Amino acid sequence: MSVKKIAKKDFVEFVETLIRKERVFGVQAKGDRFDFAPLESAQDLRLDYDVTLQPPKKFFQPPAEVLMTFEVGGGYQSQYDDEPFVLLGVHPYDMVAINQMDELFSQDNYDTHYMTRRNNATIVACDVAKPSENVFASSMGTAVVKSGYDVLLTDIGDSYVCEAATEKGEKLMAAAKKAVPADDAALKSREAVWAKNKKGLNRHELKCDPAYLPKLLAKAYKHPVWEERAKTCFSCGSCNQVCPTCYCFNVQDDVNWDMKTGKRERAWDGCLLDGFTKVAGEHEFRKQRADRFRHRIYRKGMYVPEKIGGQIACVGCGRCVAACLPDIANPVAVYNRLIDDLGIG
Amino acid sequence: MCQCCAEKKDIYLPELATVMDAKAMNVTERYLRLAMDDGPFDFVPGQFVEVSVAGIGEAPITISSSPTQNGGFELVVRKVGNVTKAIHNLNKGDKLGIRGPLGDGMYPVDEAKGKNVVFICGGIGLVPQRSFVNYVLDNRDDYGEVTILQGTKEYDQRLFTDEVAAWDKRDDVQMLETIDLPDKRWKSNVGVVTKLIPMIKSELKSAVVLVCGPPVMYKFVLMSLEEHEVPHENIFLNLERKMKCGVGKCGHCQINSTYTCMDGPVFRYSDLATMPEAI
Amino acid sequence: MSKPKIAIFDFACCEGCQLQIVNLEEELLDLLGGADVVEWREAMSEKCDEYDIAIIEGSITRLEDEERLKLIRSRAKILIALGACATIGGINKLKNNFDDLDEVKKCVYGKDANKPHLATQPTKAVDEVVQVDAYVHGCPIDRKEFTYIMRCLLMGKEPEIPEYPVCVECKAKGNPCLWEYGQVCLGPIIRAGCGARCPSNGFRCFGCRGYIDNPNVDAAKDVIDKFGLNIDDLKTKMVLFGSRQEPTIHG
Repeated sequence: MSVKKIAKKDFVEFVETLIRKERVFGVQAKGDRFDFAPLESAQDLRLDYDVTLQPPKKFFQPPAEVLMTFEVGGGYQSQYDDEPFVLLGVHPYDMVAINQMDELFSQDNYDTHYMTRRNNATIVACDVAKPSENVFASSMGTAVVKSGYDVLLTDIGDSYVCEAATEKGEKLMAAAKKAVPADDAALKSREAVWAKNKKGLNRHELKCDPAYLPKLLAKAYKHPVWEERAKTCFSCGSCNQVCPTCYCFNVQDDVNWDMKTGKRERAWDGCLLDGFTKVAGEHEFRKQRADRFRHRIYRKGMYVPEKIGGQIACVGCGRCVAACLPDIANPVAVYNRLIDDLGIG
Repeated sequence: MCQCCAEKKDIYLPELATVMDAKAMNVTERYLRLAMDDGPFDFVPGQFVEVSVAGIGEAPITISSSPTQNGGFELVVRKVGNVTKAIHNLNKGDKLGIRGPLGDGMYPVDEAKGKNVVFICGGIGLVPQRSFVNYVLDNRDDYGEVTILQGTKEYDQRLFTDEVAAWDKRDDVQMLETIDLPDKRWKSNVGVVTKLIPMIKSELKSAVVLVCGPPVMYKFVLMSLEEHEVPHENIFLNLERKMKCGVGKCGHCQINSTYTCMDGPVFRYSDLATMPEAI
Repeated sequence: MSKPKIAIFDFACCEGCQLQIVNLEEELLDLLGGADVVEWREAMSEKCDEYDIAIIEGSITRLEDEERLKLIRSRAKILIALGACATIGGINKLKNNFDDLDEVKKCVYGKDANKPHLATQPTKAVDEVVQVDAYVHGCPIDRKEFTYIMRCLLMGKEPEIPEYPVCVECKAKGNPCLWEYGQVCLGPIIRAGCGARCPSNGFRCFGCRGYIDNPNVDAAKDVIDKFGLNIDDLKTKMVLFGSRQEPTIHG
């Protein structure tokens, strides 16, 4: 597939063309922060952002979605959101998270609702131009990304290097009439951005190779850190909600006023929330805050990795660190504490 | 829906089934026999279904009948939440939604062949166990000695009393029953189900032991089986969790790294060593 | 099957939650399609002593109101507490912070303080007087949640009201945390279900839906330290809806 170069002013024009013919979501300012939102003007696109408030998972697994409609006493009818769209400005760590979600939603039992949205998406990733306050992607090996996207943009000063990695990506880039094949200097500049980000997206430094985390956790189950940290856990689930790899959900029915028809919806849930494991009859399996706090860290560092070939399900976006009011959610702080106490190896 | 998804089935979509028979077993339990409206329904003892009542929701229920018995499949539902309450209002001819059978953790129907089989049931633990009990009895020659232990809290909560009485009458089954808080109608063993374990006549050490009951029961039963030197590989436990999606996605039923709905609900005890949250 | 009869009663409150029901507009017709409203002072003149569902708005501040509420309870199959005054006592509970209620009365009513209809007691939420079957939280109530709860009850289903705090819905909306903008937001300890309406519009959570079942006081202390505040800064924010709030019983 092709690697091109496009001047920034021509890129704006290219995005305008896209907006005119496709449903486009892109990163925009939201107050003094950033978030993904429907893009109405190319001028609003902010590829110089540090981190978005919400990860892009909402485009594939929305906070709430209708799975099916039904008729009381009659049948159930699947409902799909199948309008194609372009997602502009996904950072590498978020792209890695999407790749992991793709695997989790397609393996064993194929989730047609998630995958329909995913297959309808054209993802334009972009390398990080400005590190956020809490990013630790360098520690997690997610500062750069090599797969999953359709196009990858890298800001090299006055222009972007755009690599189309799929046919969808090629098709999208075909509209960039002023793009030219990337020259050696541009490719070198891109290498330099990658090299810088591989080290520089590291506001919290993990003291081990992420591949070691499952082994670390294997001996940490009864460590006091869970109790210590969870003591001030609100069980507010903010860490779950902002996490690009949290995908647990709840399912609920709602009827229409005719009391005959209705819909079954799924909505984001969170393993930190009180009641997450409560069964009818009131027994709750992870009743203690510490149990729930530990479960999240284990899911990211051990349980989910078992399902996706060892990849660590924390991509170092730092959103949970920022979202946690009592400052206990930082996975690096937890892992480093365990390394300090239990050593490596 | 996109092209590639169009060829795949919606894993969350229930199919319609009809209530063939329904009756109250006691104040809290209702018996239902169901048949799928479309096509056959093949399952292995230990598997469960997600039962949908439109507008109310979905609940996981383990199948209580044996696949050796024809004419649909049976559920026994305890009234505890919205869905189970709604199921209690269903009668013959009513429709409901079914997804399943689900769960790869089934009873060891083949592995137990030629061995003594011991069922230890607490309360409604009898409901899922009954599927395998009847499977064993319908293939009686394939299995060794059969022992069924049933512990119930109160007399009026006893389930399948006719069936239990029939098992009791058989020469090739040892049926032991106890009640924790008996009244004057009860003339037999008193206390919790673990009290029955020393009364098992067949050899326990080499037996396949199947346990199902309320969460609190497992610890005590396992302690007793430990004393009787039953190897952990031979013990199977039916674990209850909040199974919401039933297909390994939603995360509610996770015990450490294991999804109960996928790898359970029946687990080999030795496999639980890496699952500290299990018991 | 005849339609269930609904009666709506108001006690000590601003009647703003009833107004939310009136404001349902088209959906109000849907509600009326599924049920007969037989008494509703704010919207109609009829009165009726026979009803299946009683909706109680307001908190209970007089002995005679307690008696009236008990009578309503005895007649209704299902009793719903509507709005913060009914579910947690609401703003009316502010007066419970004062030891001398006669002083409070004089301050509020001046020379009329001793008139018989003002013989008020410490404020009670509805469930401090009678059993409540369903809670519609909020000041005012959320119309969407109210209609969801009504549909559930008409279907014979117990509504699923969140046990988790407002932060869940606030984060799902993609809001930045208002604490980072200097606001003492009660989101982490207040029951969700409102869709984080206030924080989504830039206002801190005032706590009108009452505390979650298991709020973490240790965490709250940590957070006020982190932001260089003291416990009184938090308490002054909690007092509006959280005054002497008894733990709510949830059926």
